[in-house]
Amino acid sequence: MPKIILHRGGTPYEGEVAENTNLVVRAGIKQFPYPNLRYGCGMGKCCKCASRVLNGVEHLPEPNWKEKKLLGHRLQEGYRLMCQLWLTHDLEIEQDAVPLTPLPSQSAAAD
Amino acid sequence: MPQLMDKVQFRTALENAIKGKSANKAPFSIAWASGKLSRGHLARWAENHFHYVGPFADYLACIYARMPDRYVDAKDFLLANMYEEEIGGDRHTDLLIRFAEACGTTRERVMDPNNMSPTTRGLQSWCYAVSMREDPIVAVAGLVVGLESQVPSIYRKQTPTLREKYKFTDEEVEFFDLHIVSDEIHGERGYQIVLEHADTVDLQQRCLKICEIGAQMRLLYTTALYWDYVAKELPIEELGLVEPSVLAYERELLQA
Repeated sequence: MPKIILHRGGTPYEGEVAENTNLVVRAGIKQFPYPNLRYGCGMGKCCKCASRVLNGVEHLPEPNWKEKKLLGHRLQEGYRLMCQLWLTHDLEIEQDAVPLTPLPSQSAAAD
Repeated sequence: MPQLMDKVQFRTALENAIKGKSANKAPFSIAWASGKLSRGHLARWAENHFHYVGPFADYLACIYARMPDRYVDAKDFLLANMYEEEIGGDRHTDLLIRFAEACGTTRERVMDPNNMSPTTRGLQSWCYAVSMREDPIVAVAGLVVGLESQVPSIYRKQTPTLREKYKFTDEEVEFFDLHIVSDEIHGERGYQIVLEHADTVDLQQRCLKICEIGAQMRLLYTTALYWDYVAKELPIEELGLVEPSVLAYERELLQA
């Protein structure tokens, strides 16, 4: 079972999830990482679930079109959208105090 | 005599009740997955699908109003599902209309109830009837577990085809992408409500039965789409992959 560590506000929150789990789906049914994972629309629109990957990036799939569109250059800084990821391996992530905002659509089009 | 199941046994029983009659096996779904539908066929699908999923928040609102006050979590889950369907991000039906327009139809045609088939009207009416008349826990089992929780597995299969074979753009198929996530959340919330509150043998058995009926209704709807809009141009023999037993079952449903 993948072990997840979420850092938020300087505190690490740890838990295990079943293989092929989406963390936003879990939070949506009030299970770990609820209530510590910040998320919003659950549809790759709002960026509220964006998290910086500290460990485990090698097991994640390539960013999909929504992550590319919304995150743009911030992908290179390690940010991913948790609502777009189904996890199969351990992952350590961090959420900033202030959530990211989606890139404006014009600059997204240039990505 | 059925016995009271623990949550693990009950969840497995619910999953099994849905599995046998998954809409993935309908000829329309098979034709879709194999890239054999035209954009015109997909437009007819969107014009019908709107009238089945468009009122989903209405169905949930009826259940919400009848859910006992003491089931606070269940009420909150239903409210969250309604919010996300309508105003949490993009309105889900707007994304369906975007796809419909890419298929060559119009917003006006999609929203016009005269463009749905009698079978779609039947499915919509069944959803309303369940939401207004069934025990609220049984209604959640039918509409959220039996119908909504099927969606991610259907769209996981259909969405890659829309890009690769039908050549739709990412934006045009966003309706499908979003439901792979959102309906997994919604379906899971449905399971949580049903597992927590179907706490008698009678309620558990009624939940299982309505899941089975919900899956049958969706299969009936999907099957009718094939016979109403596709069969003349794409005979069943050309699909090849259809299991004879599934076809026989669908014909029974249509004749019933």
